[in-house]
Amino acid sequence: MPERAELGVMNAIIFSALIGVVMMLGGIVIKSNAGIKLLAIILLFILLGSHLAEYYDLFNIHIQTHGMLAKSRFGMFFNTIIISLTLLYVLLSGDEIVKVGTYGAEYFALIFFSLCGATILSSYNNLLMLFLGVEIMTIPLFVLTSSEKKNLKSNEAGLKYFLMGSFSTGILLMGIALYYGGTGLFAIEASKAANEAQQAFRILLPLGLLFIFISLSFKVSAAPFHFWTPDVYDGAPSVFTSFMATIVKTAGFIAFIKLFELRSVDMGYSWKILLPLIIILTLLAGNITAVFQQSVKRMLAYSSIAHAGFMLFALYNPNDFGKQGIMLYTVAYSLATIGTFAVLTKMKDYTYEGYNGLAKTKPVLAATNTIFILSLAGIPLTAGFFAKYYMLASALKESTSNLWLVIVAVLFAAVSVYYYFRVIQAMYFKDGNAETTEIKPFFKTLLIIIAALIIVIGLMPSLLLDLFYA
Amino acid sequence: MSNILSVLLQATNTADNYFPIGIQLIFAAGFVATMIAVSALLGPKRKTKEKLENFTSGIESHGDARQPVAIKYFLVAILFVLFDVEVIFFYPYAVNFRELGWEGFMAVLMFVAFFLIGFIYIIKKGALNWED
Repeated sequence: MPERAELGVMNAIIFSALIGVVMMLGGIVIKSNAGIKLLAIILLFILLGSHLAEYYDLFNIHIQTHGMLAKSRFGMFFNTIIISLTLLYVLLSGDEIVKVGTYGAEYFALIFFSLCGATILSSYNNLLMLFLGVEIMTIPLFVLTSSEKKNLKSNEAGLKYFLMGSFSTGILLMGIALYYGGTGLFAIEASKAANEAQQAFRILLPLGLLFIFISLSFKVSAAPFHFWTPDVYDGAPSVFTSFMATIVKTAGFIAFIKLFELRSVDMGYSWKILLPLIIILTLLAGNITAVFQQSVKRMLAYSSIAHAGFMLFALYNPNDFGKQGIMLYTVAYSLATIGTFAVLTKMKDYTYEGYNGLAKTKPVLAATNTIFILSLAGIPLTAGFFAKYYMLASALKESTSNLWLVIVAVLFAAVSVYYYFRVIQAMYFKDGNAETTEIKPFFKTLLIIIAALIIVIGLMPSLLLDLFYA
Repeated sequence: MSNILSVLLQATNTADNYFPIGIQLIFAAGFVATMIAVSALLGPKRKTKEKLENFTSGIESHGDARQPVAIKYFLVAILFVLFDVEVIFFYPYAVNFRELGWEGFMAVLMFVAFFLIGFIYIIKKGALNWED
């Protein structure tokens, strides 16, 4: 597929918004939960089909965007991944989504709108589109977080997320304004003429980039801007936490990479201090706090912070290795997290004790959950291992002086093994009677398929990366 | 960091063009503060109980204003804001009606269509039913 920067808008953006509207109206006509879920799955297949049609140059809608959106192989491939992951997520947890409240169709519609924001983030070429993408992606999440209306914790989480999110959006806007002051442009590509003309105000550019960096760090929950994450992830209904921690978070990283692969140079020496500092803080806050958690859901929230620390490594070398790495990480991390959360939503008790003896009562759930958790911990033969490997290698490829940082990251990965393995220990080596809600054979089959995918990618990561270049 | 500092120094050198604006800002704030202070100091004051009460158009006030209000009012208010905003888009379109031609007409038609979908949605969802 050739690069066509000036042409067109992506099918994925238009179709994801349209299917959201169709889903909303579908909720009026269709009353049964099963029907709503079926409609959501059909619409997602349409979205995936329209996206693939564009990917293989069969059909796309041409709209002049005046360079505000740019189509790239990287963005298109990422869209394929997130749309497929959303489809998998809906197939796996669709029943739970409609069960959250009385507005089943609206939940799906909000998920599709959020997906629309994610597709904009994978193709923006202009900071205004970055802003729009971030907002379209996160505003539906505020609603989804507080969708469990009768639950006080869900309401608290929604309000907290809304307040913190709008505050960080303010910082993003401030950063964009300063960026404009420094360059005279909203476009993310450096223009030499504009830079020279604005020489007097060049201080504004690194300052603006710093503000944007802070705001995006907030969105991907990197420390020290992570404080909202545990409360929001814990308070939100588990199914929606699963969506937030995977598709939304990785889309945030794509936005990060797209801007800073071009612009990290402009931050000068301060970038070299800032990035390792944020990475170490994030790994520290995520991993160490996760050790002390009693609830598996909260532990997963902290572990998602720890994974954000690993994904930040992609910013070291965003040109080739980092991009491949973030693709692999997106797939590995999202598959495993969607899987663990799907199992979690079936549990009656979210504490570690709630998992006691799961291997005896539900062997399939326990076995697949073990594979997901091994992948999250980054044990070899699972996808998580190569994901982490690519991330650390990208830092080393940039410069061998980053070796100390890689060693620190490996140490933290070792810490993470402790709290991940507590779940496996509870499932296999503790006596208990783990209670779950009703589990359908289809659900079990899907879990096995996801586990198989994780192992296949773990054995041959080239399968996925070759697709990227195909 | 040193790079940033040198640039910062440069920026401050060119900022002397803003000096008159700074003077004006200080003068404006100072003028307002002085006038308020002078009128407060020199003006006559006769405080009575009635004068210190909140002004409510002559009607005696009862109780606290912070009382729970039915959520329906809020819903209607927010829907009003949403549908009122469409005028902001219609007005400039009406002014530039001729210049925008058919392309503009189609764009507005699309906008109205989306709007209508939203309208159908809220009606079907029963958001405008006042009686439960």
